[in-house]
Amino acid sequence: MRRSLRFAWMFAALLALAILAAGCGSKSSDNSSSGSSGSSSSGNTAASSSKSYDNGSSAKGGVYRVGWEQSFGFTNNFDPTGEYLGNAWGLYVNLLLRPLIGYKHQPGAAGNELIGDLATAVPQPADNGLTYTYKLRKGIKFAPPVNRAITSKDVAYAMNRLANPKDGGQYAFYYTVIKGWDDVANGKAKTVSGISTPDNQTIVFHLTKPTGDFNLRMSMPATAPIPPEVGACFEGKPGDYGRNVIASGPYMVQGSTGTFSSCSALKPFSGYDGANGNHIILVRNPNYDQSTDQYRKSNPDRFEYRVNSNADDIYAKVQAGQLEDEQASPQPKTIRQYSTDPNLKDKLLPNVGDRTWYLTMNMTQPPFDDIHVRKAMNYIIDKQSLRKAWGGPVIGSIARHIAPPVMYQNGLAEYDPYSTPNDSGDATKAAAEMKQSKYDPDKAGKCTMSQCKSVLMVADTRALDNRMVPVIQANAAKIGITFKVRSINGAYTTIQTTNKNVPFSERPGWGKDYADPYTFFGELFDSRALIPSGNTNYSLAGITPQINTEKKLGVTGNLNNVPSVNADIDKCIAKTGDARTTCWENVDKKVMTQVVPWVPYLWSNNVTIVGPKVTHWNYDQFSDGTAYSQVSVKSS
Amino acid sequence: MAFYIARRLFWTLIVVAAVIAITFVVFYLLPAGDPALRFAGKNPNQTELDLIRHRLGLDQAWYVQFGKFIKTFFTGDQYGWPGLGYTFAGQSSVLHLILERAPRTLLLIMGSAILWLTTGVAIGVISAVKRRSAVDRAAMGFALFGISAPVFWLGLMALYIFWRQLGWAGGTGYVSPVDSVTGFFSHMILPWVVLASLYAAFYARMTRNNLLETLGEDYIRTARAKGLSERRVIFKHGLRASLTPIVTMFGLDVALLVGGAVITESVFNIQGLGYLAINGALTQDLPTVLGVVLLAAVAVAVMNLLVDVLYAFIDPRVRYV
Repeated sequence: MRRSLRFAWMFAALLALAILAAGCGSKSSDNSSSGSSGSSSSGNTAASSSKSYDNGSSAKGGVYRVGWEQSFGFTNNFDPTGEYLGNAWGLYVNLLLRPLIGYKHQPGAAGNELIGDLATAVPQPADNGLTYTYKLRKGIKFAPPVNRAITSKDVAYAMNRLANPKDGGQYAFYYTVIKGWDDVANGKAKTVSGISTPDNQTIVFHLTKPTGDFNLRMSMPATAPIPPEVGACFEGKPGDYGRNVIASGPYMVQGSTGTFSSCSALKPFSGYDGANGNHIILVRNPNYDQSTDQYRKSNPDRFEYRVNSNADDIYAKVQAGQLEDEQASPQPKTIRQYSTDPNLKDKLLPNVGDRTWYLTMNMTQPPFDDIHVRKAMNYIIDKQSLRKAWGGPVIGSIARHIAPPVMYQNGLAEYDPYSTPNDSGDATKAAAEMKQSKYDPDKAGKCTMSQCKSVLMVADTRALDNRMVPVIQANAAKIGITFKVRSINGAYTTIQTTNKNVPFSERPGWGKDYADPYTFFGELFDSRALIPSGNTNYSLAGITPQINTEKKLGVTGNLNNVPSVNADIDKCIAKTGDARTTCWENVDKKVMTQVVPWVPYLWSNNVTIVGPKVTHWNYDQFSDGTAYSQVSVKSS
Repeated sequence: MAFYIARRLFWTLIVVAAVIAITFVVFYLLPAGDPALRFAGKNPNQTELDLIRHRLGLDQAWYVQFGKFIKTFFTGDQYGWPGLGYTFAGQSSVLHLILERAPRTLLLIMGSAILWLTTGVAIGVISAVKRRSAVDRAAMGFALFGISAPVFWLGLMALYIFWRQLGWAGGTGYVSPVDSVTGFFSHMILPWVVLASLYAAFYARMTRNNLLETLGEDYIRTARAKGLSERRVIFKHGLRASLTPIVTMFGLDVALLVGGAVITESVFNIQGLGYLAINGALTQDLPTVLGVVLLAAVAVAVMNLLVDVLYAFIDPRVRYV
């Protein structure tokens, strides 16, 4: 789950939309706005809405200015090797970098389709899924000051940099399937033996096991080419390369000029002031050849990203045409204004984000060590009320399983294993499940044992949490479970520490890294990935006494017979195409019916407001934000 | 006097060191989570976490980290002197960051301090001299408003009225006077006024009360009996004696604002030291927090010293030994 600046703020921003939506029923008027295009409808399918803006006058030129609230929030100072901020990925893949594999920068399922970017095509695996060979396009050059053709060795260098923990890679775990990767990670080798470059236009990856989503993994920004002569200046200095990112895409950081001579002569580019939190300015890369790129339109001459501590100010400037776009949290009054004013309505652009919000149950802690209790929780929770606490239908759709349907090319859209009337909970079905539980010896449909009283719930301290907790408490009380709530500012730290043995939390959410369900199941339910702190398998799926001891997890509870999906995950990892999709769908179903670690309740949307000078805007499904490569703006 | 200043400087160093030590310990003991996790991605193994902790120096005991910080501070680091290290989050020099942000905050404080001191004292004097008059009541009404109105609200209202509606001010953001003098003033005038309004209100009330008290003293009656003009009585004998607590307060207020003008900086998007410190705290960026705390502590200590020295010039009764 890459970090998302927007989602951290989104719930508050959309409160007003909820109020509005409540007042207007659940109808959407997306497709009634002239000049805008999109689709959405009432009820749960609202989550699949995608709204774009186009006034028919797209043209080259102009400056696209974006207000960035509070701080950039980079995780590695904009160094692509370790940068994990989703908003930074939007800049990389749309504007600055060309990984081997790319996207069309469109909303919805189309935006998750793979295309060859630096590579001429998306390759099919050979050697029973163990070998991937990429042919590089000719005519793609690095921006100044490197100014030379990009070769396969530049990609290999970026991968070796990612493999070396001293260079700050934050999602290197996706590439441990490459032969020899761990040797570099462990300091036993300097280069990854499973990567070879037979010629300047070819790079070959040899894997240790078939990995059906390997092409998707090669679409992430850290895999984009880095010139070794520049990268060498920053080895062992994580983040420092962020000041001198050498572009391979249509734009480059302002100040990338001249000719590279030595590390000592390389000064931070003037357009990057991310470390100081002020601005990033991107200008056209003079070495970029549009004929090598089918999908980036690259209309504006320049992009300016400026940090502003005042969200109100950002939106005032967007409305006044002093900014075109925002990376901020719209205030309720702003949402209300844009929702009601006919002149502004088409500038309010909600799109589905690939993110699930859920209640997590620790399967080692009573009463959630009983699957029937977990199922009963899925039946009793009023998901409509939880969504209302977030802001109502406009905020997203009710989640009914683990990964959002768009991750399955809209598969499982109708799958709802714990269907209740209007998604508002069903006391009868919940009681029927509870009767099968060991915590209901009287078969009364309610937990009557002490293990169900004052169960610890870790909540966060946001206003949203304060709205959600009473709903959960009231719902759970119907099946005899009462909670002792502990509200912690930054609850994630607590629930990510295994020896805290947190039975229940309402805090978690999870978003994709790329459009494959592995980025959900592999990270959230694979017990081999369990770690004592920073753990994301909150429900401890697949934990055994042996794993607990070996990994020093410190879990005290019922460790016997905790269901595992490790084998199911392994089966899917090797598959490709439709078979892979079907495989993950089956894992999702199994998790929901045989593991039941969560009560998923929301698949959330992402909302953008654009200014009057914008002539085209659409969403980029991969980066979950503005498709900067597609936007256009009036020149004057 | 020289001995006094030297002695005060020595104690200033002790105080600053103590403040830094306390900040270090508080930060170290805060249950805010492991900063290394922030840099480890979502699925780190123990080796990666250990490597990050080692790189950030978090694998050492707090007192070792503190000792290294103090040593680097005095000896300097690769970014220059004093050595403040680099930020966890941005991997950039804390010293450069502070040097870049400090002018914004200092110019904000300087402008507003001039405003609040001149207007606050002037209003206080007028109010005291015209006691119980309409002027007095209006002045105290202003003071009540200034004290009561939250800075963020005043700031937003000022922006709405004077920038968005009337277009008289330059709006939010910071423009360096090196780049544009007019741009600088047009962008700073609102934050100056807003920040000054709160303090001016305090100063007006304090000046009024002090002056009223002083004007009731016997020596004031004597001065008047001698036939001195009322202006001379008020300004030379009354106001001067009333200024001592004002100067004390002024010194502390200015010093505290070095790291404490967060709301004004946020509302007007000035992004000075206060904003830097808050962001540092929120991201558990210990070097950034320490850098700003150090500067703020030095500012408080130095301003206290200056104030004490100024006493001798304001009040002839004060002598230093």
